[in-house]
Amino acid sequence: MFIALLLSILFSLIVGIVAARNKRAEAIIVPMLDVFQSIPILGFFPIVILGVIAIIPSQIGVDLSVILLIFTSLAWNITFGVYEAVKSIPQDYIELSLMPDVGSWRRITNLYIPASISRIAYNTETSWAVGLFYLISSEILTLGKSSYTVTHGIGVAIITFASANDWTGYTYSIISLLVAVVIWQFIFLREFALWSERYKFVEEPRGVRQDPLMRFYSWMTHKSISKLFLYSHSRGVTKFSSTLYRFKDGIKYSIVILLAIFIAFELGASWNLNIGFPTQIPTIAKIVSTEKNVIIALAYSFVRIWYVYFFCVIVGVPLGIGVALNSKLYNGLTPVIETIASVPAPALLPAIALVTHQGELVAAIIIFLGMIWYIVFNVMAGIRSLPAELFELKSVFHISRVRAWLDIYLPAAATAFVSGSIVAIGAAWNTLIVAEFFIVSGNTPLTQVQAGIGKTIALATNQGDLLSLTLAVLSMTALIVTFNLVVWRRVYHYTTKRYAYNR
Amino acid sequence: MGVLSSNPAPIELEAKAGKNRGSETFQGPVVDVERISLEFTKEKDQLPVLADVSLTASQNQFISITGPSGCGKSSLLRIIAGLHKATSGTVKFKGTEITEPRGEIAMIFQNFVLLPWRTALENVMFALSAKRELSEDEKRERATNMLDHVGLKGFENVFPGELSGGMKQRVGIARALALEPEVLLMDEPFSSLDDLTAGLLRKEVYSLLINPSSSIQAVIMVSHNVEEVVELSDKVVILSQRPAHVVGAMDINLPRPRDRKSPEFYTWMDKIYSLLA
Repeated sequence: MFIALLLSILFSLIVGIVAARNKRAEAIIVPMLDVFQSIPILGFFPIVILGVIAIIPSQIGVDLSVILLIFTSLAWNITFGVYEAVKSIPQDYIELSLMPDVGSWRRITNLYIPASISRIAYNTETSWAVGLFYLISSEILTLGKSSYTVTHGIGVAIITFASANDWTGYTYSIISLLVAVVIWQFIFLREFALWSERYKFVEEPRGVRQDPLMRFYSWMTHKSISKLFLYSHSRGVTKFSSTLYRFKDGIKYSIVILLAIFIAFELGASWNLNIGFPTQIPTIAKIVSTEKNVIIALAYSFVRIWYVYFFCVIVGVPLGIGVALNSKLYNGLTPVIETIASVPAPALLPAIALVTHQGELVAAIIIFLGMIWYIVFNVMAGIRSLPAELFELKSVFHISRVRAWLDIYLPAAATAFVSGSIVAIGAAWNTLIVAEFFIVSGNTPLTQVQAGIGKTIALATNQGDLLSLTLAVLSMTALIVTFNLVVWRRVYHYTTKRYAYNR
Repeated sequence: MGVLSSNPAPIELEAKAGKNRGSETFQGPVVDVERISLEFTKEKDQLPVLADVSLTASQNQFISITGPSGCGKSSLLRIIAGLHKATSGTVKFKGTEITEPRGEIAMIFQNFVLLPWRTALENVMFALSAKRELSEDEKRERATNMLDHVGLKGFENVFPGELSGGMKQRVGIARALALEPEVLLMDEPFSSLDDLTAGLLRKEVYSLLINPSSSIQAVIMVSHNVEEVVELSDKVVILSQRPAHVVGAMDINLPRPRDRKSPEFYTWMDKIYSLLA
């Protein structure tokens, strides 16, 4: 994972600086990053792993693809951080650095990199939890294909213990995961963030003292996932990209990229016989019938995600607001919630499956756990960032509790809630792959639902069915992208216009 | 309809009634701040903010509290409002101790604090929501009149986001006045506005608040702007650096309306500045 992190930082520095300083590169890199950010990475993982194994058919290939996955989960965020940091260097500094005796290397090491440090620190913090989720999930996923597995790793340990019915071992590995998370989050990252503070140009008037994980969730939401769809008042983003973010262009762009990926993988698989893929391009009839199954599976998953989302809202919004309103509760509970939230849902799956064998229920719980924190933390951060005066209104005007919730708290949380929801739904699509179908090598599935896109993807990965896999992943991506453009974008704009709290 | 012409009258009557009720039953100071101290505990350290601050506001007085930034002026105002608890000392409203926000005390905020998702009218009505004795129609009527009173006729259905800073603060004033309070607290009411807007609003505000038909018996304003303090106050209380104590209290007996360019005005400003430095 450290390898992946280092790679990500290096990649981000190069790409981020280039994008920020070169108009033409910017026009290509920024939209690309946007697309990469908004696709469900985990869905692509099986394709990536099959692709990488096709090229390097050995243990190294598997490890490499895990690193690659974590890299992809970290890199885009950090790159955006670097890009925006370099973009927002005050013009005076840029002009200073353009003085004749300052070479470009010195400009990079003395200005661009230091300017990026606080953002890198910030984004590392925030990306880390994502990385952890993918780490566990990917290690678990690779186990499905018995011939190629990651041999060491916490995810592997968790699943091996679980499949051997060794619940003591399982509990220990969960606890050690927790300990590692706590050490990392609260000691290392906090220090890193504090150290990086001095590299800031100006104090950012955030107003909220947020803890790393909470910051991760709210930050994640605002900066990373939905740039392509939601950016309207772009600070660091150029005019070019804002035209690109218009509805039709967005669709066109996504289709082109999806098609390119599809063709690349079909071709890649076709010339490689190593893992037994069909050598011919599949017939149209076959594509149509597969796609039909995929669409049905998608429909199941879509409904599943939305009813679980409904429960998340019912629990998450009152919880977030309630905790945020009460300072004592907030200070006491936040670290606890953060620690709970940092356990990736897939790691808990075996334990949940032990309690109930209802595949549908297990899936719902996993999706719930994958979504709820985005809503809770976003709502919390949203409420905490409001001026204290707003809450004094309640006392000064003797507003009843019910009216205060209806007229102050809920509307005040609305924008944060909507952005939290967008990311939560995005995250839910990612968890599907483990939630809907879970198999431990060779055994019968530990849990499975009747139908769902996650199951389709997991099954196809297991069986090496590249056609179903590609179609499933691409259809899922298309659905997410379209839904973001058609529904979320409007909801988001409406709420920011109507409910954003700015004096 | 006849609605417009008949409206202002009842408000006046009601307000007068309120005022008379108050002055008949109680003769002492409207607000009496007695030896207030406030300490924050920060990582086991005691951080004294206010040290033994006393002041009184008598009938029909406009009091200003001024002092260096961060000296605890706003904390003091919030203690008077009943929003914060003092470490020691008491605040009395007409002889009764203030332990929580009271219906007779309204507040105007530095940053207006309007609900962005409610129109100007709804924002004023929102403050009236605790008034059970009023019907929904009466609330609407009173809110409409108040907006008219502060010069926002025609802006009833506009959202705060579409109003200028000065207009937002006018909504804030209307919201406070609609409650027909006996005491009005103002926390840096003009400091979020640009100079020109603030100047215009200041000119109107005194007569808006203190006039025969108003329910308000005392205004307490927190401000760091010495010019507006001299322009508006009957009495000014000057606080020191943290921990804040009273370094001076003066009755400003300049005739109204006050001319900001007159030599007397400058003399008063100098007096206050000399105590602040």
